[in-house]
Amino acid sequence: MSSTLCCSFAKNVTLRSSDGQTFEVEEAAAQVSQTIKRMIEDGCTGSVIPVPNLTGPVLALVIEYFKKHSPPSDGCPTALLEMEIKDWDAKFVAVDNDTLLDLTLAAHYLEIQGLLDLTCHRVADILNDNSVEKIREIFHIKNDFTPEEEAEERSKIQWAFE
Amino acid sequence: MGAAVSGLGDGANGSGIGPGLGDIPESCVACVFMYLTPPEICNLARLNRAFRGAASSDSVWESKLPPNYQDLLDLLPAERHQNLSKKDIFALLSRPVPFDQGNKEAWLDRVTGRVCLAISARGMAITGIDDRRYWNWITTEESRFNIVAYLQQIWWFEVDGLVKFPFPADTYTLSFRLHLGRFSKRLGRRVCTFEHTHGWDIKPVRFEFSTSDGQQASCEFCLDDTEHDDANGNHKRGCWIDYKVGEFVVSDSEPVTEVRFSMKQIDCTHSKGGLCVDSLFIIPSDLKKHKRRGVLK
Repeated sequence: MSSTLCCSFAKNVTLRSSDGQTFEVEEAAAQVSQTIKRMIEDGCTGSVIPVPNLTGPVLALVIEYFKKHSPPSDGCPTALLEMEIKDWDAKFVAVDNDTLLDLTLAAHYLEIQGLLDLTCHRVADILNDNSVEKIREIFHIKNDFTPEEEAEERSKIQWAFE
Repeated sequence: MGAAVSGLGDGANGSGIGPGLGDIPESCVACVFMYLTPPEICNLARLNRAFRGAASSDSVWESKLPPNYQDLLDLLPAERHQNLSKKDIFALLSRPVPFDQGNKEAWLDRVTGRVCLAISARGMAITGIDDRRYWNWITTEESRFNIVAYLQQIWWFEVDGLVKFPFPADTYTLSFRLHLGRFSKRLGRRVCTFEHTHGWDIKPVRFEFSTSDGQQASCEFCLDDTEHDDANGNHKRGCWIDYKVGEFVVSDSEPVTEVRFSMKQIDCTHSKGGLCVDSLFIIPSDLKKHKRRGVLK
């Protein structure tokens, strides 16, 4: 990275996960993340950009997302390309629930709005398809209501189901 | 990097199974709630205390309310909506809000938060309504206003009305709710009589409406079958039918939209009768299509 010459080669950056794994990725692709984009713009990236909130496997997934969503070199995306990306996105978030939450957190930390919308939509679909008891199980949520409170809560929301 | 909602779950607390839904920051929870309907959000309030908090936040519910919800609140006495959370406002407005002497009602669809309106026959101008030989009022649970106008017989059938209301931007469908024949309950069973029902198979009834910004629609329906098919029965008799007149588009709640509507069969060469007029509905057009009913799970 010592060269200051403007070159036509794709410039790469190195990202390091919380557990010390490093990944090389095109700078343009990494800038899908607003957080990383700011770091690059501020010139405070040095040789390696630390991503302390993400473990290696999660960062690897996020980089896959970067690559798919990096701005195309030849200008505007075509409608066909957009459709293909949409299909790819749907498959990308069809993961187990723990990974889905990891990706949601990653999208939040790295400010990747597209990925955040994608994962939140998927979480919403899962919440919607399951009973309260099942949701607690799936997403490791402890019920801290007393039975009385739970009954009260149930009666308080009755208006929404009339 | 917003702080996580403390204790939303018991997630990464040494259980060794990665983060729980409770570990995601409140802004992400709000993002998840954007994809859920009000009944679904209410359901999630039952997960635990922290979720109850997140599912009650004003920012979540503000996005579910129509932009001009204040106009609907203004129809209610001030003491009924002072110091309410946005969630409570949504709950309040999803129940019928009466206006114009209680002859009209507006409410929010519970699932979509879109504005619906109904106008009772009481709030319409009905030709001959004060003459008991023509029209009678019947109280009934089958009407949301608990009363319908029953036409015994008349030559000049005309029902008109207008409503001025700050409809939020949407596409609306206007329809009349009518019932051919008279109904009553006998020994707990619903029975219909058609002793007065006549004349509706001769010529169609003309339905019309127009809005203050120049949109209009009209159509004609024969309210009765011309041929009485004994084998298959008469599908137009003995049940409530919504006659869709047309659609209109509102692009902004300002200026207030005025809708004038009418229903006529004024060919005086024949009389007609035996018809119940309940109400007129103005409902967002694709509401029925989109309906995702809430179920307590």
